[in-house]
Amino acid sequence: MALGIIKNCFLKKLNYNIVIPEKEIMKKRFYFSGNEAIGAGLLKAGVRFLTGYPGTPSSEILPTFQRLAKKYLNNFFADWCINEKVAYEVAYAASLAGIPAAVTMKQVGLNVAMDPFMNSAYVGTDGGFVVVSVDDPGPHSSQTEQDSRFMAMAAKVPVLDPSDIKEAYFFSQKALSLSREFKIPVLLRSTTRVSHGRAGLEIEHFEPLLDKPAPSFKENLKTWKEKLKRLAATPKLRFLLHKELNQKLEQIASENKPRFFFEGDIAIITSGGVFSYLYELIEEHSLEEKICLVKFDLPFPIDEEIKKELKNFRRIIAVEESMPVLELQLCAEGRNTGIVPKEGELTPAVCEEILSKLGLLKKKKHISFPPLPRPSLCPGCPHRIGLFALKKAFGNSAIYTGDIGCYTLALNFGVTDTVLCMGAGVSFSFGIKKAFQMAEKGRAVIGIVGDSTFFHSGIPALIDLYHYGIPVLIVILDNGTVAMTGNQKTPSSSQSFSGEKLNPVSIEKIVEGIGIEFCKVVDPYEFKEVLKVFKEAKKFLESSFSPAVVILRHLCINTKEGFSVNPKYRVKIIEERCTGCKVCINEFECPALYFDEEKGKVFINQVWCIGCGCCVYACPKGAIERESR
Amino acid sequence: MKLVILGKGGQGVIFFSRVIARAALGEGFSVCGTEIKGMAKKGGPVEIHLKIGEGRSPLIKPGEADLVIVLSEDLKEYGSCFGKKLFVFSKEDIEEALSKVPPRQINTYLLGRLIKKEPFLRKEAILKVLDSENQKFFLEGWNDV
Repeated sequence: MALGIIKNCFLKKLNYNIVIPEKEIMKKRFYFSGNEAIGAGLLKAGVRFLTGYPGTPSSEILPTFQRLAKKYLNNFFADWCINEKVAYEVAYAASLAGIPAAVTMKQVGLNVAMDPFMNSAYVGTDGGFVVVSVDDPGPHSSQTEQDSRFMAMAAKVPVLDPSDIKEAYFFSQKALSLSREFKIPVLLRSTTRVSHGRAGLEIEHFEPLLDKPAPSFKENLKTWKEKLKRLAATPKLRFLLHKELNQKLEQIASENKPRFFFEGDIAIITSGGVFSYLYELIEEHSLEEKICLVKFDLPFPIDEEIKKELKNFRRIIAVEESMPVLELQLCAEGRNTGIVPKEGELTPAVCEEILSKLGLLKKKKHISFPPLPRPSLCPGCPHRIGLFALKKAFGNSAIYTGDIGCYTLALNFGVTDTVLCMGAGVSFSFGIKKAFQMAEKGRAVIGIVGDSTFFHSGIPALIDLYHYGIPVLIVILDNGTVAMTGNQKTPSSSQSFSGEKLNPVSIEKIVEGIGIEFCKVVDPYEFKEVLKVFKEAKKFLESSFSPAVVILRHLCINTKEGFSVNPKYRVKIIEERCTGCKVCINEFECPALYFDEEKGKVFINQVWCIGCGCCVYACPKGAIERESR
Repeated sequence: MKLVILGKGGQGVIFFSRVIARAALGEGFSVCGTEIKGMAKKGGPVEIHLKIGEGRSPLIKPGEADLVIVLSEDLKEYGSCFGKKLFVFSKEDIEEALSKVPPRQINTYLLGRLIKKEPFLRKEAILKVLDSENQKFFLEGWNDV
């Protein structure tokens, strides 16, 4: 088969296990994660304007870019924005002004940016624009297993799907060059395994990159008028832009063919991280003459000619994460015929099962893992004591509408009843309270939201709550950082990553600016004061035509500053007083407290305890005491 | 070599694994792997896969690890699903280490003991990627076996 020849030339490139002489290692080899490779790749490609909103598994891309840019560039912008939509529009506008730009987010973040994303495909770009969206098949730390390749297809945006760290580095560069060549936004899709994977990566030095970006905006009035038509297009012109977009896609498809590996007569079509699992399995089980692995670096758009070429194979099976993007485009077998699972990650073990379903391998014995201990808030976390006080004040009958952040873990100790998406903690309290009012039930509803999530999308919902006079309590957990994704900054910071001055945004001023009269700020570590404020809020809500807001402000103890200023006590258990009631274990859930089954009492693990002293309030018997160090 | 490392957030598992990875890279081996962190920063389980001198994907299939290093004893059963050969840092090991070195250096100390017992990398390769303070505690562990 002619495909064999193509295979051979690619195989040469694929030798990853070369032993490199020691001197070169010192110079050029990095142990990079996929996200670091993308950050470095974007910089190397020429991106000079990068924005984003943090979200696992995408959060390390922007900090890597910042770190390298600070070292190698004079003139750039790289920082977090308030949410993905704003981040998208800010960076995209810079690209329209002629500066190579990019934006990073996680897959559910792309939902937030969907409006500009869909539109920008029509309008195109000038400086080049790369959208990085990282998917989370599994899911490991997300609400959905959605596939950004599908979103790209829906928006008619070309998408590159790297399969390993090396490709993550080179595809981020290819994404920008493709974008510049065709004046179209390009999506770079990664997944948890590629983004959080690590490998030795050999990269060139960045020194020759000290160039200055030059905006072309309005420089040439003649072309400016032409451009304006596109930038503020009427529906009539949008139709023409759509036509132009389709032409671009056709050309891109014809210039980007899939790659073929091995020589079998069963074609397995794939893209992204799954490719590397399949490649390994084919080698491991010597299936080189049974399978031909067809790798789509660019899973959308696909050239029509490929369909014809694939007809030469006995079977065509699509094995891809996490939705049937190639399968639908190429009318292949896969999820529709039950060969590929419709949910969950396609791990190497799952890929092995797929191969055995095809009759290529013997069925293996399934190894099932015991459940891992569930995660809980860090010892000393201000959210824990704040939410413990909240439960104490409002009890079990209240409905707690939670949100996305570390505090989602309050599910563990019963202070969160709902979690949907960013900002829904605030808007859910509206819908649920109104429903109770309509049913003439007086149940209390409390919305819980973190500071960054409040900025991200809690503000519009709070405006509606006030506008319609909904008497709910909104608790804003303000720890001064985006804690869950690795302590990125929020708009309340007064300094950028490079030490430049920023205007800090005040949450209470926003709340008061809306018109909300009951807005109190209190440190959750001041337990008695917090209880008092919650009781006041409860009273206020009984007769108010407005929500009440309590801001619990205490720095995240997982930051250097937060830890250094945190109170430090010597905490001890008075064994005689402990009755083994487990209130502190079940309703407070600090990892530093453990129940000794033999003794029937609770003890403190001094390795984990940071001495915050909050647990003294959790014990109904007064068996936990603290003293100043 | 396929290596799985298990531990808890805040235990320095990531640092521990990167020392091994960098040492292996320094020896000229290819290294690929992944760091699986859960939602919790402190106390949540952390799972590291490392393929040294082989492979191209970051994941190790259940039952196929050549060595499973368990830094937190309660993850032993989970770890045994990855492979037969386990190296567990028991509660007693950690307590003993605590009596000899500062809490932050436990991992480096225990790495010294591990490499002496399971020499999948040369002692010198590890020393090369450690700073002088860590070198001291690594050697202390090495000498204690």
